[in-house]
Amino acid sequence: MRGSSGFVIALVVGAAVSVAGVLIGAWWLTFPAGLLIGLTLGQARLAIPAGALAGLVGWGLPLAIQQDRVGLGAAASSLAAILGSTGQPVVPVILTCVVGLLLGLTGAWLASAGRSLAAPTTS
Amino acid sequence: MRSFNFFAALIAAAAVLYASFAGAGPLPALGPAFNPSTGAWTMAADAAAVKSETLTIGGLQQPVRVTFEKDGTAHVVAQTDADLFLAVGYVHARFRLFQMDLMRRQGEGRLSEVVGKAAVDSDTFELQLGLLRTAQLEWSQADEVTRVALASYARGVNDRIDEAKRVNQLPVMFTLLGYQPQPWTPIDTLIVKGDMTQTLNFTDTPLVMELLDKSLGPELTASWFPVLPPNAQSPYDPGPYPGHTTVGPITAMRAVTDSEAATALALHDRLAALPPGLLATGGESNNWAVAGSKSASGGALLAGDPHLHLTLPSIWFQLTEDSPDYHTSGVSIPGTPVVLIGHNQHIGWSLTDAQNQQTFFYEEKEDGAHPNQYFWKGAWQTYTSVSYDIPVLSGQTKHLTVKLSTHGPVISARGLTTSVWWAGNVPSQDFEVLMRIGQASAFQGFRDALRDWHSPTHNFVYADDAGNIGMISAGYYPLVAKGQPWLPMPGTGDYDVTGTVPYDDIPQVYNPPDGIVWSANQRQVGPDYPYYIGTTSNFFDPGYRANEIHRVLSQDGKLSAADMMALQTDTRDFLASEITPVLLNALAGDALTSTELKARDLLTNWDFHMDTSSAAASIWWTFWEAYLAATFDPWWKSRNVMVDRAESTSTNANTQLNDSLGQDLEAWTLGDPTNPAFKLSGSAQNAQDVMRAAFHTAASSLGTTLGADPATWTWGRIHTRQLENLAQVAGLNYGPRADRGDGNTVLAAPDFPSAHGPSWRMVVDWGTHTFSGIYPGGQSENPASVWYENRVDMWWSGLYAPMLSAEEGASSPGAATWAMQP
Repeated sequence: MRGSSGFVIALVVGAAVSVAGVLIGAWWLTFPAGLLIGLTLGQARLAIPAGALAGLVGWGLPLAIQQDRVGLGAAASSLAAILGSTGQPVVPVILTCVVGLLLGLTGAWLASAGRSLAAPTTS
Repeated sequence: MRSFNFFAALIAAAAVLYASFAGAGPLPALGPAFNPSTGAWTMAADAAAVKSETLTIGGLQQPVRVTFEKDGTAHVVAQTDADLFLAVGYVHARFRLFQMDLMRRQGEGRLSEVVGKAAVDSDTFELQLGLLRTAQLEWSQADEVTRVALASYARGVNDRIDEAKRVNQLPVMFTLLGYQPQPWTPIDTLIVKGDMTQTLNFTDTPLVMELLDKSLGPELTASWFPVLPPNAQSPYDPGPYPGHTTVGPITAMRAVTDSEAATALALHDRLAALPPGLLATGGESNNWAVAGSKSASGGALLAGDPHLHLTLPSIWFQLTEDSPDYHTSGVSIPGTPVVLIGHNQHIGWSLTDAQNQQTFFYEEKEDGAHPNQYFWKGAWQTYTSVSYDIPVLSGQTKHLTVKLSTHGPVISARGLTTSVWWAGNVPSQDFEVLMRIGQASAFQGFRDALRDWHSPTHNFVYADDAGNIGMISAGYYPLVAKGQPWLPMPGTGDYDVTGTVPYDDIPQVYNPPDGIVWSANQRQVGPDYPYYIGTTSNFFDPGYRANEIHRVLSQDGKLSAADMMALQTDTRDFLASEITPVLLNALAGDALTSTELKARDLLTNWDFHMDTSSAAASIWWTFWEAYLAATFDPWWKSRNVMVDRAESTSTNANTQLNDSLGQDLEAWTLGDPTNPAFKLSGSAQNAQDVMRAAFHTAASSLGTTLGADPATWTWGRIHTRQLENLAQVAGLNYGPRADRGDGNTVLAAPDFPSAHGPSWRMVVDWGTHTFSGIYPGGQSENPASVWYENRVDMWWSGLYAPMLSAEEGASSPGAATWAMQP
């Protein structure tokens, strides 16, 4: 799949898989979603940002929805305290987003690199 | 290049997946822990305000109504007793499941399974001591009413566990620690009761006495740590007593051998290294009652404030329980189905720890020719043994075999084999007793119920709607055949625990002529009491709170509920009121610096209240600590005493030792100022010499730490209090914050910072039928909940909330109701 439309389609599908996984408790689906993006887009310069973005959306969107529904301020402060970062509620928010981002990113990178490795070399 | 890229990607992906599935360093498995929909973030939804709704609860026979007041107080109204306890189980688990799981794991020796090898020592000790064996025995002996109550309660807890798993709302600590709670059982409830018994009654004092005996010598040890307190006391039961004596005075202290001392030291050090709460380190609770004849309202008054480790969440959960047979209101311990302290329609009750000796150590006689045997009553007996597996997170399962002699479990095989007889291992059907108390309508029913209460020994205060008051120090008072129970004793059978003080002979009063009863962990009886119940080093309080309570209640005039509340938050230091005038007298002829003169003037004008704004309070406390040190540290040094005198950083430090010595020092200062104990302190000849030196030391110390002007040495600058998060997350503590009181005041606040004190304050006025209570904390263990610490500020300010009935609660502003359907 080539071009910006491919990028968008891969991103949307990957993010949707990631969000669905997060919602049903299968959080690890973000990684296969990244793999899917990597295999689909091939080129690392497209696949890796798309995978990272899909992971970020996959974990960030449910968090944003929760913030809208019940508010996350007190929970973020409490989690920060548990993590040893009292007074810095942004820490667990960032940590959560980073986990999603890295799962998507590494999935896409691995698939992209594997596809590149399997492709015939050109001289 | 492509290969390098691929392997780099592979390594990065492996690292991310590993951290996500298994965690990294101190972080939990990141994936399940931070998944926004099912991980730790679900605490946000769980923290949302309770709203009125209909719940379907398995196991209910009839609909149940649970109403929550705006502050979280729960009112459970059921149509059957079984439904009542089931609903209470559900409610407890809804708000305190992790706390409950932690408590059962502690007592059952299963903490290592979820926190790793750091808890192996604790688990090993708990399984040796035998809370699990005792709970199993109690369950097998429980009557039908108790069995129904505990089984129903367990069903309610399990209903909530299943629901929480289904909707992904397990408490956050389960998520972060990466495990799920197992089903609750009635044994777990009995274990929670055992935890409380242990924290209040399991002591190492005979070991401490043995070490003191070895280093200070029998004569000084007997003199400084006597059976009868050397200072003036206020026993609530002054007699007359039955006229026979079972144990001789402590002047019969025997000499201790090297091997005995080495054994005691090893075991003492092992116990001191255990986590806080496994060893009783003193108690500071108050309760009292005033008869209708002495009350402004004409009805009896009752006040109770049990002092415990102050945690978030609190040990207490406030509720009312209504069913055909029960109408109780007060506080319960999550994990247990009944109101422990509170009132019903006719009587009110509260508890303080009775502090009598509950732990006895025995040195078993063994011989290499008789392996796995001990000599008892003229013959070799084979140890019974019980085996356990202790699962350890990220480690190998530890196999443990516990040997049991006739005295109890062997808890040390280093040096002399030592077993322990602990009253907490005597089966005690406390829940049956508490249910009968909940149904009692007069003193006879209350007293009859307490006949079956064995442990932990408690001073139960009583007041009823007919104006009557009483106090019973219910529980097991072990009697030994002979010997010196304040030291470890030979296990040959001649010194065994043979029974308990008869129920009619234990400390108790009913409607005393002066119209007041009171307890504050002091020795309950006077010097003529014919039974041995413990020494001054066995956690009987020095008596300053009891003396102060007695002083206030004995004053002329009628007393009101407001007076009860004022007394519960009283910061007048009785010891300071006795000693300060003597100190000022000693300073009269002394050469003082200008700073010392100002400090002396502050003491001269002091009202003996340990308030945060009082500079005199700091001077007094620092002086007293210096006075203790100047008197006793030379002895500790010269005799190479093996037990710390002063409070140390150890969580299990024997602070009672200092309290015992304080009683001696108080008595000598007031009545024996030339006691030889003073002569080891430099060139001092008497108490006045040491007091002057201690005052100079105190002024110098405060000047160094707080500045040159004594007027600025306020108590709040050095004395703070904090409420500690139960999971030991420092960021979820409350405080530390400057606070009033000290270890001797009715509003107790020992230690720096203080994390121990009034865990619940309750005042009952039967004349006006008003009931008030407050505890520091909130109903929810979820730190994101508005009910996590919403009561702290009221408690801190000395305010109370009305304890409403279920009907009043349902109509209170902001109330929400769960309609529970079968």
